[in-house]
Amino acid sequence: MFKHRKFVAYITTYMQKKKKNWLRPVLIIGFILLLAGAGAVWYIFTEKFADIADENATYTVNASDLIKEFIANDTLANKKYAEQTMVVTGIVSETEAADTTINIKFTDTTTGSYAIFAFQQQHLAEAKTVKVGDNISIKGSCSGGAFSKILEAEFITFKRCAIKN
Amino acid sequence: MKKSFLFIGLVLAAGALFAQKKVTTSATVSFDATTSIDALPKADNKTVVASLDTKKGTVAFEAIIKNFAFTNPMIQDHFNGAKWMDSEKFTTATFTGVITNLKAINFKKDGTYKADVEGDLTIHGETQKVKTIAMIVVNGGTITTTSDFNVKLEDYKVSGPAIGAGKVAKEPKITVSAEFK
Repeated sequence: MFKHRKFVAYITTYMQKKKKNWLRPVLIIGFILLLAGAGAVWYIFTEKFADIADENATYTVNASDLIKEFIANDTLANKKYAEQTMVVTGIVSETEAADTTINIKFTDTTTGSYAIFAFQQQHLAEAKTVKVGDNISIKGSCSGGAFSKILEAEFITFKRCAIKN
Repeated sequence: MKKSFLFIGLVLAAGALFAQKKVTTSATVSFDATTSIDALPKADNKTVVASLDTKKGTVAFEAIIKNFAFTNPMIQDHFNGAKWMDSEKFTTATFTGVITNLKAINFKKDGTYKADVEGDLTIHGETQKVKTIAMIVVNGGTITTTSDFNVKLEDYKVSGPAIGAGKVAKEPKITVSAEFK
């Protein structure tokens, strides 16, 4: 009887030791995975768009050529340019207030079609110094274009823009 | 001959000054679908084309969907994706409507007016009737209009797991503001 009890106690202690041995690394790995998962979720949900000035442009174009391309076929042009970071060069035809921000336009005087640029918060101050007639380059994310029934002209829009020096 | 040119010039100048159809290409449409569990689904589009005919009382706007700027890249991708706005296919959102109480608004006199607006709103290729109130402020020849209303995403056949999970409001608030000079 005594021998049996001693054997059971020995087995129990052995199992507890074993349990502790495999439980610890599993708990550590589980905790690390949980932490990594929480970190990934936190990163995804708090991520903000980078400064457009630091992004590489996929296309560098002249404003009047771009407008002509959209007028010719905006379906094809949208497939090519939408969501692409671009640098567009032209002569400023208009600056327009949009709430507390400012938009800059390059207009094709023959058709009235235009490209319009809305600026990233950190680049608003430099955009506000631009004047009609200035020959400038703007880097921004192209949102594509469409034919406006109101204006009877093509309009091409850009977001998150910055003046390119 | 000189007098004729002067007369034509004056007529054109007067026409531009008193033009009844006013247009801006920098109207703003804001979209707010935030919920208590997700503060991310909201965006602004600041390059909206808008028009106001002060004689007929017609109003209209056109917005390119992809130009709604979100702060978060992932939410912007979801918004434009096939399960949401499908902006590859439905590139624009449009509104055409009319001010039904036009007589109550004097566009030539400074003041704040309440306008009843009715019209057709097209989002995601679906058109629905919308009734809303717009505030119109006339100040020194500049007309500023603001309106906000809610849209039921279900009416525009916009659905997705995030809406069902309560991360995106089922009836987002749309705010439209435009300044006409």
